[in-house]
Parts: sequence; C-alpha cells; structure tokens
Amino acid sequence: MKRFALRVMTAALSVAIATSLAACGSNSAGSNSPDTSAAGSTTTETSAKPSETKSATVRVWTLWTDPTKDSNAAYFYKVLESAKTELANITIEHDATENESYKTKLKTAVAANEAPDVFYSWGAGFTKPFVDAGKVLPLDEYIASSGAGDKILPGATDFFKFDNKTYGIPYSKWVAVLYCNKDLFDQNGVKIPATYDELLTAVKAFRAKNITPITVGGKDRWPAMFFQNALALRTAGAQACVDALNKTASYDQPAFVESAAKLKELVDAKAFNDGCLGLTNDESAVPFTEGQIPMYYMGNWFVGNIMGKDSKVADKVQAVAFPMVNDGKGTSDEFFGGSIEGFCVSANAADKDAACKTAGYLSETMAKLTADDGGLATWKVDGVDESKINALAKQIKDLTANAKSYVLAWDTFLEGADAETHKNLVAEIYAGKKTPEEFAKEMQKLNEKK
Amino acid sequence: MERVLSNKKAICFFILPALIIFIAIIIFPIFMSGYYSTLQWDGIGKSKFIGIDNYITLFTNHEDGFIESIKNSVILAFLSVFIQLPISLVLALVLSNKVRGENFYRSVYFIPVIVSTVVIGQLWMKIYHPGYGLLNTFLRNIGLDSLAKEWIGSTDTALGAVFVPVVWQYIGYHMLLMYAAIKSISSDIMEAAKIDGASSVQTAFRITIPLIKPILEVCVTFAVIGSLKTFDLIYVLTGGGPVHATEVPSTLMFNTIFHKYQYGYGSSMAIFIIGECLLLTVVIQKLFRMKKA
Repeated sequence: MKRFALRVMTAALSVAIATSLAACGSNSAGSNSPDTSAAGSTTTETSAKPSETKSATVRVWTLWTDPTKDSNAAYFYKVLESAKTELANITIEHDATENESYKTKLKTAVAANEAPDVFYSWGAGFTKPFVDAGKVLPLDEYIASSGAGDKILPGATDFFKFDNKTYGIPYSKWVAVLYCNKDLFDQNGVKIPATYDELLTAVKAFRAKNITPITVGGKDRWPAMFFQNALALRTAGAQACVDALNKTASYDQPAFVESAAKLKELVDAKAFNDGCLGLTNDESAVPFTEGQIPMYYMGNWFVGNIMGKDSKVADKVQAVAFPMVNDGKGTSDEFFGGSIEGFCVSANAADKDAACKTAGYLSETMAKLTADDGGLATWKVDGVDESKINALAKQIKDLTANAKSYVLAWDTFLEGADAETHKNLVAEIYAGKKTPEEFAKEMQKLNEKK
Repeated sequence: MERVLSNKKAICFFILPALIIFIAIIIFPIFMSGYYSTLQWDGIGKSKFIGIDNYITLFTNHEDGFIESIKNSVILAFLSVFIQLPISLVLALVLSNKVRGENFYRSVYFIPVIVSTVVIGQLWMKIYHPGYGLLNTFLRNIGLDSLAKEWIGSTDTALGAVFVPVVWQYIGYHMLLMYAAIKSISSDIMEAAKIDGASSVQTAFRITIPLIKPILEVCVTFAVIGSLKTFDLIYVLTGGGPVHATEVPSTLMFNTIFHKYQYGYGSSMAIFIIGECLLLTVVIQKLFRMKKA
C-alpha cells in the first residue's frame, strides 16, 4: 500500500515537473516576444495605387497601440492616414505593442534577425546595442540624397549617431528648463538667475525670507539627478559630457568634480525643499503649481501641468535656461534634453529604399504635427500657426531656437546598472554622504569596468 | 466516510491537485530561482553560467549594501519580537479580560491589518511629510520646532521612521491570534485560579501565557519571518532610499532585478532570503522546545 502511494506521488511529481517545464519552455519564448494580440496590435494597410507597377510593403513597429493614448500616438495615426495618399507605391503594415513589452519584443526580434523594416526606437543607450550588432541601416545616404539633410535641424540626430553614421531620424525632442515664478521673484525683489552666482544669491535671498527656493523630488532620484547633469553641462560642456558618457573620456576631471561641488554648495545653502529625498516628483511639483516655491527644473512636458486648470501659476511662469557657470566650458546654446525618440531602419529590410522613405516620411510628418501643437520638432517646419501655441511653450521654443547641442539625461544615456549607480551617487551628494571628488572617482569606475 | 479517509489511495487522490499546484507555483519557481542565481544574466539576452560567484559577490561587494540591508531587516526582526509582540500580548490579555467594548477595540486594533499596505504607506507619507505632515505640524504647534525633522527624507531618521508603521501595522494581527488562544482556554482553570486567590497579573503570567505558548511560538515565527522578507510598506514609503538608508533584502533584490537588469544576481538574493527564513524558523522552533525541556 505504501509503495503504491509512493508510486502515485512520484508520478504526480513527474507530471507536475513536466508540465511546468513545458510551461516554462513556451513561456521563455513567450516572454521574449510578448503576446502581440494581448498587447493590442493593429494592422493598418495602405493600398498602393494600382496603376503603378512597382510597389513595396513596409512593416512598421511602434508603441502607439491606440490613437487616444497620448499626443504622439494621435499624430502617428494621422500620419498613417496621410501616408495612404502621399506615400505612393508603399503599403505600410503597422504593428503596435505597449511600451514595456515593446522594448522586450523589439530587442528579441532584432537579436533574431526578425526586426521589422522600420521601427520606433530611443537613441543612445537603447539603440546602441542594435548598431553594435550591425542590425541597423545607416541612413546618411538617404538623408543626403532625399534632401532631408537640409530640413533636419542641426544636432537633432546626435543620439542616433554612432561612429559618425546616422542610424535613426528623430521627430521631436524634449528639453529641461528652469521654470521661475515671476510673481515670487518680483515680490521678494530677487532677480531671475542667469548665472550660477545669481542662482546662489537668489537661493539665499529666498531662504532669508523663509521661502523654499527650489523644489525637487529626490525619492524618484532622476529629478535630483537633473541638477548634477545640468551643472556638468555648464562646467564641462556638452562634448565633455558626451565623451565621458561614451566612455571615451574620464569623469574624474576637475569639471565634473566642479559640477558635484556646485550641487553640494546648493544643497548646503538649503536651495532644495526640506526632506526632498523623501518626496516623489509629483509631490514636489505641487508646491510649484500652488505658487509656494519659486523654482522648478523640469522637462518641457511640464508646460501642460503649468497651463492646466489646477495650476495657480498659469500666467506667472517664465522658463529660462539653466544658469551659466563662470569659467565653465559650457555655452548657452547647449541644452539638457534631446531628440531621443525616432525611427530606425533595419539592416535586413527587404526594400531598403522604400523603408528609408517611409522612416523619413513618418519622422517629418510627425515633426510637423508636433510643431503645430507647440512642441519641439527636430525638423524645420514652416507655416505653424503661432497664435494657437500657448505662451510658455512658445517661450521654450524661442529659448531653444538656437540650440547647437543637447545632452541627454544621463540615466537614459547609460544602461541598466550604470544608470542606477549614477542616480545613487547623485543622491549621496544630496544626502552629504559623498564628497564631489568621491563622486567623480566612482563615476569613473563605471568607465573602467571591462 | 471514515473508511474512505483511511484508504491511502483516496488520500493521495484528494491531495494530488493541491500538491501539483503547490509544486508548480511554489516549489518549482524556487528551484528555478536557484538555477538563475548561478547565472550572469540580464533577463533577456544570453546567460552565462558562473557557479556560486553571485553568492560570493553578495558578501564581498560592499557597494551594493546587501550586508547593510540584512542588518536592517534583523533590526526590524528584533523590534517586532521585543516591541510589537509584547504590545500585542498586553492588548490581548486586557481585551480577553471582559473589558467593556471588547468587540469595538478588537476591530479598531485589527483595522490596520485589513487596510491595504499601499494605503497605509500613503497615509504615513502624509504623516511624515516635511512641510504639511501631521507629525511636524503637531511638533511645531506644541513648540517643539527643533524636533520637527525630514523623517523619511533624511538618512538619519528614515530607518526609524519607516519601522514605526511596519511594526504598528501588525500589532492587531498578533493581538487577534493571541486573543483567540486566550479565549479558548477553559474557564474552569481561570475560575480555579480565582478561587485560589490569584491576582490577574499572577493569572496572566502563571496560567494564561504558559497555556498559549504554542500560539506565541507561531507569532514569533511570523514576526521574524515577516520582518526578514518585508517589502511592500518600505517600497511604498521610501523605495529603500534615501541612499540605501532603508534598504532591506527584498527591496534591494527588486531593484537589482528590475532596474539594474541583473537577473542572476537578484535571484541569489532571493535564494538567500528563502534560506535565511527557513533557518530561522527551525532555530525558533528549537528555542521553544528547549524551554519546554
């Protein structure tokens, strides 16, 4: 009897293990290529004109599963419609997967040589592994021959450039600006800072009047990181930042130490809200839109919140560039942000001409729709109706009109573990746990790792 | 019915479904984690077998702060056993003593257990808020401005500030376990004690506590294990920050796997937590047996 029980148990165990193994087998494939039907895939077909003889089908992957998701998605579906008439001979097969699964799906597809002809991608750290593996088509030839080179704004393709070749065409960019509450500055007789010294003066003046000068959400870490990144842009300049991030230059040099030292100086001057390391970005934004804290350094996407109906500062905000640092190597035409979202073409695309043309068309048309809404397009766009754009968006547009180069948020430029280390190191400066020298040395360790 | 239950075949048949599910969703993933913990793997690409290197790194690499996180969880375990449980025990003893409004108090103490941890986290975030937080407002209003702190925003106070709600949340849970155990003690014994002239303190120490010892063992085990693998409330309140000040092994494991993409290394942390909990369960049982002897 006992033996029988044992036998049953053994059988049960082996069945259980076999089924779970099988489940695991199919699962590992499944997790690599997330279920597209569940993620809401859409296929839009554009029929080619029957009269033309040569026609091509281009497969396009994006993360816009639904036109109502956000403004970019809305633009994209409009572009898909217009492509039907304007892109003759080309049939676009669109497939969309939701953001996080999209990243996994694309990575797997690229690795398996099954990438679509054209795909949405993020520049820098995300696209680099694909380029390193030779899976992405350089677009320089297309850009030169199609005349897109004259229409794409200077520096726009920087984060899709690897080894002096361009691997993607972005359509819009983001930029971080210092939002200043003019009312609070005027009431307290403080000058909106243009230089770091003025910023420090402003900080002390506000503190003297018992007003918290700057709000930042350090619990999320990236908003805190923004300040060190922006300071490094001013002390070291864009090129030095990009070189260090690309591991071709050292972080352990005076300019980067200086960026951390300046940040420490701000922290010591109590520039930031009390307990900022315990507050999320959303929490930290509230006192700014409530008109209690005069300064907030954030991306241009925050314009929507300032102009929103819950905001009490809608017409009181002035957006300025991050203050300049005396003797710093940075120039005022360098900005923190960048054109990170764009379209790439697979090196294995069946019809390379059609794929390039599609990528170019999607990017240019989306840029136009972005500009019409007051966003920052990476293409020259004519005939934008300025009256429809809100004043703050326009300020930011004017501010960045002469931008020469952009440096991305370091945590998007770096990959996985390095990004985490970087954000933690910056947080340690806020907490007073690391000296600026230690910060620079430990950042350099990232570059020295194999 | 009795005949069916004495039939071994029948027993196996009835246990089988639960056993299969248990193995498939608990035992098997543990073994898979054990396997992953021997890999160098980002969760997507190719993995590389590196043996026990991940475990060596756990204890030799001081930058990750894994040892610190274990220390934090051990502190929490001590607080749970020596602060949380005594409070629960006192409450249970008092409540079971036919207090007026017994049911009302029992419900009140149990509410934090029912409320979602995320809600509790949000609640305490508001209490600790440096600007308009309840705690700082209270301190300022009674003239103790100097005691108003950044609480979860400062590395000095964050750990203590986070442990208070963690310990507080489960007082009601342990209280209820002990309360039920006390209620199940036969009233004859209590009456006998009373007739012999025992005071209520004497009854508590000489009769009630020794009789609910099995439940106390369960409570200690739960408190210790719960502390070692605590995650949710700390994740909501601080996410392990600021600068790893409130990091416990589970939050560190979460960050390692999902933010640093170090699947193998994170799995070795998971395995360590499992091993640590199993070991301590055995140790606690041994300790209780020892006292009995």
